[in-house]
Amino acid sequence: MNQAVIPKVLVTKIGFDGHDRGSRVVAAGLRDAGMEVIYTPPWQEIATVVKLALEEDVDVIGISSLATDHLIVPKLMDALREAGMSDVAVIVGGIVPDQDEAVLLQAGVARVFHPGSSMAEIAECVHDLTVAGRARRVAV
Amino acid sequence: MSKRTPLQTVWQVPPALLAGERRVIARAISQIEHGELAPGVVSTALRSHLGRAHVLGITGAPGAGKSTLVHAMLGELLARGRRIAVVAVDPSSPVSGGAVLGDRVRMGEHGAHADVFIRSLATRGHLGGLSSSTEEIVDVLDAAGFDVIIIETVGAGQSEVEIMRVADTRIVACPPGLGDSVQAIKAGILEIADLLVVTKSDLPGADSTVRDLKDMLHLRARPAAGAWTVPVLGTSAEKGADVAALLDRADEHLAATGRARRLKARPAPKVEPAAGDVKARVLAMAAADPFVRSLGISCTEAGPGTATVAMTVGAQHLNFNGTCHGGAIFTLADTAFGLASNSHGKVAAGIDAHITYQQAARAGDRLKAHAAEVSRSRKLAVYRIDVTRADGLAISSFTGTVYVTGIDVSVPAQETM
Amino acid sequence: MNKPIDSSLLSPADAYAQWQQDYAAGIGVDKSVRNRSGVPIQPIYTERDWNAAERGADLGLPGQAPYTRGIYATMHRGKTWSQRQLTGLGTPVEYNARLREVLANGANAISLLPCNSVFRGYDMDESHIELLGTCGTVINTTSHMDQALQGVDLAKISCAQNDPTPFTLLAFMLATARRRGTDWRAISGTSNQSDYLSHYVANHMFFRLALPGARRILTDHIDFCTRLLPKWNPMSVVGQHTQQAGATPAESMAFTLCTAIQNAKDCKARGLDPDQFLPRFTFFFDVSISFFEEIAKFRAARRIWARITREQLGAKDPRSWRFKFHAQTSGVDLTRQQPLNNISRVTVQAMAGILGGLQSLHTDAYDEALSCPSEFGARIAIATQNVLREEAHLTDVIDPLGGSYYVETLTDQMQGEIERVMKVIEDAGGMYAAVEAGLVQAMIGESARKFQHQVESGEQTVVGVNAYAMEEDSSARPINARPDRAGMQSLIDDFKTFKATRSQAPVQQALDALARAAGDVKDNVFARVVEAAEAGCTHGEICHTLRREMGFGHVQAVV
Repeated sequence: MNQAVIPKVLVTKIGFDGHDRGSRVVAAGLRDAGMEVIYTPPWQEIATVVKLALEEDVDVIGISSLATDHLIVPKLMDALREAGMSDVAVIVGGIVPDQDEAVLLQAGVARVFHPGSSMAEIAECVHDLTVAGRARRVAV
Repeated sequence: MSKRTPLQTVWQVPPALLAGERRVIARAISQIEHGELAPGVVSTALRSHLGRAHVLGITGAPGAGKSTLVHAMLGELLARGRRIAVVAVDPSSPVSGGAVLGDRVRMGEHGAHADVFIRSLATRGHLGGLSSSTEEIVDVLDAAGFDVIIIETVGAGQSEVEIMRVADTRIVACPPGLGDSVQAIKAGILEIADLLVVTKSDLPGADSTVRDLKDMLHLRARPAAGAWTVPVLGTSAEKGADVAALLDRADEHLAATGRARRLKARPAPKVEPAAGDVKARVLAMAAADPFVRSLGISCTEAGPGTATVAMTVGAQHLNFNGTCHGGAIFTLADTAFGLASNSHGKVAAGIDAHITYQQAARAGDRLKAHAAEVSRSRKLAVYRIDVTRADGLAISSFTGTVYVTGIDVSVPAQETM
Repeated sequence: MNKPIDSSLLSPADAYAQWQQDYAAGIGVDKSVRNRSGVPIQPIYTERDWNAAERGADLGLPGQAPYTRGIYATMHRGKTWSQRQLTGLGTPVEYNARLREVLANGANAISLLPCNSVFRGYDMDESHIELLGTCGTVINTTSHMDQALQGVDLAKISCAQNDPTPFTLLAFMLATARRRGTDWRAISGTSNQSDYLSHYVANHMFFRLALPGARRILTDHIDFCTRLLPKWNPMSVVGQHTQQAGATPAESMAFTLCTAIQNAKDCKARGLDPDQFLPRFTFFFDVSISFFEEIAKFRAARRIWARITREQLGAKDPRSWRFKFHAQTSGVDLTRQQPLNNISRVTVQAMAGILGGLQSLHTDAYDEALSCPSEFGARIAIATQNVLREEAHLTDVIDPLGGSYYVETLTDQMQGEIERVMKVIEDAGGMYAAVEAGLVQAMIGESARKFQHQVESGEQTVVGVNAYAMEEDSSARPINARPDRAGMQSLIDDFKTFKATRSQAPVQQALDALARAAGDVKDNVFARVVEAAEAGCTHGEICHTLRREMGFGHVQAVV
């Protein structure tokens, strides 16, 4: 008997901003939805995020951005690609102006969540990305 | 609900894992965590690559300062040039089944060091149990070449003791406190501790906690001469020297109890031969049986605990009524019985057998007897054999019991029939 | 009831009973209401709830202990609140241009908002260029501060620095003053982010050093300013961060008062006289849209602080008992959806702060929720304050809600709730111990979750988000200004040149002295920071030196 799919999600912040109320609420919400969440404080270096995602073999990386830190998410996407981890899904939540959302999606971000998104929506998205990702798992 | 795929019972060791490639290590651990593999499969496959790492288990009640201690240990171990892997066990919510795995974050900047590998593990229902998953994950890390593996687990009931058994050296952390903290250490944990550490030793109350713990140890049975005496140490995050001393004592413990104590404690692995080997052996057994050959019975299929044999009813098999002699059918079923029960490699002696005859068989019928193992304990096993005609008609049902001896089946290798 | 009764014929007791009957009949299913702090709210308040004859003495008069009605006799009628808008963007030159505009439009005080890279203790050449100057101004040296404050007379305009320990930006400002020949004794303003405990629990962005180091430097800072900057408020105890992180208004006030007690005790332990440092303690709060709750919160706080300073901290000078505070309208209540609605929200929040008796106010721009506020939004924010003061005449009457049955009852109840939470903290050994143990963080997290649940369930309406939502034309949302990349690159290049060409010996000496001071409890670390600023050290160099000596601040991640 296999386990039901339990997503492993990294919830983190890169860049300089330290406002983490949102990311903590999301981390708790995903836990309450039955997922395993690696939660980090803000100001993670991009290289650290990649290393953590690799060691923990996470299904989804959730970036919380309330100031302008989303502007360096494309750099994260590049770093993941270089590490051979393009199969890890990345979602961004927080304050992302419309003009930047398109840039993020172009860079490979799976979805951008704006303030007012419900916890249920976020959990469902993470679940779906996990199921799709595991099905696609390439033998390493 | 995910579709249930059968558990993998065979696992190939990826060479990249032995070379320490991080992605491969992480993926192997995921296979264990996701429950894709039958329990024990990984440990068995990695058998010959184990025993190099020193596995330290660290536990203690919440608030004992374990994460701070592990953080300090990582710093000191890196300074000593070691490569370290950490398995951080965090409790899953009993309500939602989810977990927030926050331990690795408390290990601070060391988590970013190239010589440190941290994997967080939630306690939710693991196939085979949490401690068996932890054991397999530790084996993966051992085989991957880490010098030190730290298992950090939270004081959480019986599973805490079981997880600590996965370690070579077991460290129990205790916060300073007047007597309360000593009460808080569950008896089971104290029994298996190799080192006791009072954390935050710069705070008041630490000295009396150290004394209380030493008293508790004296009250237990004296260790046998030459056996390890459990020390009680104090550490303070402020003082690096304390942590160095702790690691030195852990090294002493390693030397004293011998390396890889955790492996010696394991039952010898059941060396189950590959299914293909079993078939070859059974076919050889059938070929070496004069009575079976004399009746024209051949073995067509075999595996652990199963065998299928076949016979075409000929003139020499008929009784005076012109139908197949009951003894021939009995022999057909009994042959399947014998091959199946001996397929595990130990001589199995039949002690009881019953047959019922449902339909008569005639000359020219192709009969097949298929044996399946109903139950097997250390000494006894029961088999059920169905005899059918080529068109599926049920001819006969047979049940037999064997006594399993300790003698190995020895059959000269023969060409298969 | 068939015939309406002439209620003027009823006795007060009967009239009340009559009202209760009419209310019950008319309301149908009544809802049970609690404010954000959990205090139950009735449909009406009368003298049964608060009786002026009995309680008037508790109330006092403005400028008299316990200061419920205001800390000064004249309050806003005598001197209006400081209009202190937080501003910051881009390079020092860009900041200076925006600053002059804000001053010309009626702001009479400055609050400088530095870039997030500065908050984190990094110089511009250690940071991702994409993130420089997007949310605040990049200032790494004394020269940058001088440029930023061009044309501003530091002896006349009050300037708050939003800089946490080790207060490098104030050091750069003092060095600038010295260059200009301005007497330090004339400089006024506040170290707005000196409250390291609030940073540790709730806005760790500002948290650069490990807890013990931050604690030590704060006391050094207060000591230095008390002696050399008589008009400067070195201590701003911050309630904003905990409330924004999810603490209820009562919890946030309780945490703030406990922090103030903790810091005061640390100063006393250093040998400082309470009547020397307490008059320079100020407070900084978030004002949410829970209108009456906020007013009551501030009035209760004045009463509590007046008692604590006298009875617990031993202050004898009435100036030590006064609860002075700056308030900022809460960005957490603002929405991204239908952003112009934020103008009405900010107006209500500002009114609550004014009627609550603040000394200084920052109003958010309506586009605060989208990113760094635009010039357009900043202008409206200032105009809002002007409208409230000069069109609505909110400065004409001191404490206009005093004596209201509701407001006085609520003030008492908020006081009760605040004191209850304060006791939890004091029982845990005081604020420092409670924070170290993670107790405060857990309480904040719990309240944040509860509020989130209320919003998600619709119990708390957020217009445009969980109610009254509509399809919006995203092109109607303002495009965010980003700092000019070429200008920023040029600033970085100049900065590198500066570092390469400045005289290295005084820089090295100053950093060595700073490092030594960190290990010597008899030395004053902040004094060495000021010397380092004058010697040409950069912000990053100063922060790195202290982090090396005193430990990097790692906050607990409590979910």
